[in-house]
Amino acid sequence: MRHEDFNEEFEKIGPQLKSYILRMTASIQDTEDIVQDTWIKGSSNFALFKGESSFKTWIFSIASNLTIDNLRKKKRWPENVTDICKEAAKRNPVHFQEAMKIIETSEDGKFEIREHIAFCFLCIAKSLPLEQHLCLLLKEIHDFKIKEIALILQTSGALVKYHLHAARQKMIEIFEGRCALINQEGICHQCTEINGIFNPKQNEQKELMKIKMVKEARKADKKRLLDLRMQVLREIDPFNSNAHELQLHHLEHNRRVMEKYLEENR
Amino acid sequence: MKIIITIFMLMTSFTAMAQDGKANTVKNTFNRKTTVSTSINADASIVWALLTNASDFSRWNSTIVSIEGEIQKGEKIKLKSTLDPGRTFKLKIKEVVPEQKLVWGDALGKRTYSLEKQGDSTLFTMAEKIGGLMFPLFAKKIPPFDESFEQFASDLKKEAETISKSK
Repeated sequence: MRHEDFNEEFEKIGPQLKSYILRMTASIQDTEDIVQDTWIKGSSNFALFKGESSFKTWIFSIASNLTIDNLRKKKRWPENVTDICKEAAKRNPVHFQEAMKIIETSEDGKFEIREHIAFCFLCIAKSLPLEQHLCLLLKEIHDFKIKEIALILQTSGALVKYHLHAARQKMIEIFEGRCALINQEGICHQCTEINGIFNPKQNEQKELMKIKMVKEARKADKKRLLDLRMQVLREIDPFNSNAHELQLHHLEHNRRVMEKYLEENR
Repeated sequence: MKIIITIFMLMTSFTAMAQDGKANTVKNTFNRKTTVSTSINADASIVWALLTNASDFSRWNSTIVSIEGEIQKGEKIKLKSTLDPGRTFKLKIKEVVPEQKLVWGDALGKRTYSLEKQGDSTLFTMAEKIGGLMFPLFAKKIPPFDESFEQFASDLKKEAETISKSK
């Protein structure tokens, strides 16, 4: 690969890179900064790229280091992040008004349950230890192999396997205990609640049945349901999806609420 | 020559027995020591990760109710065990040699975890020595550890080998 091809190759993986960093940081501003810094670092260090890994692996390695630097000193979010943020949203009429305005005026602001499933995963995954979170996204969303993740995170394949296994088990446990879409006794049904507010005329059951995870909820095992949940994420680009403007607005709200919550609960 | 062969055979059979996941307790007047050892078909880094991630412990280890704190040298942890779930043990992490040795304990006891790389496998050994001058007074109140130790070693082996086989 020649240096003059750098921009073109970088642009090819740009959307994936942005999704990855947003799902790690939950911050639009930090994502844009890290993508820019990755480009600068990649471009200026291009002579060091020997083609021993793929270009995508190399760029994700630079981006992961920058993301780790960004997150290392920040606290992880609690598992019940969506409960806390829901209560905060109820106390914040401005947030609701802004959301309604996006729904009414934006072409990319129509609420969709599947996008909220991806959004919910994004928030809850931030409760995993950092290494587990990184491994989970790299493997399950961005299709990197264990060896490549070890290279990206400068660790051993054995440890990647541990982080991945622990992350999957934890996410299964959390969603099994919370998500009413896969467990009738689940305590959280925010996605359908919000859908009821923003899409009151929609046939909710019909909409839910379009989502494979919901369709298979009763017969599939827990591992399969987690895979199907992550399949939803793979299909959604959080910066270009049908409802991205609404979901990004929602995410900014949750991030601000979390920053305040973590500050108050040091 | 026969004597040497007999001693060698005794030693190898002892080693094999010591790695079978069966606990062994040696009691003395002023202390008691329980040991268990098992060979795990997984990289030492996986076993080490399982032993040093406090918040993840209760997920795979059926003898641990919870561990709060960081398993790092000098840190203190709060441990609840199924042996006595109503009690919280406040323990200090006394020694950490990555992928080789971990020691925690309090004034009465010391728990040592040792890992030894054996090709693609890892020999795991866990030992706990409790005692002191007052030991004879409360010795009868401390439940035996053997069963719990065997369960610990079995859970660790199962989890580490599951992770090792994952793709």
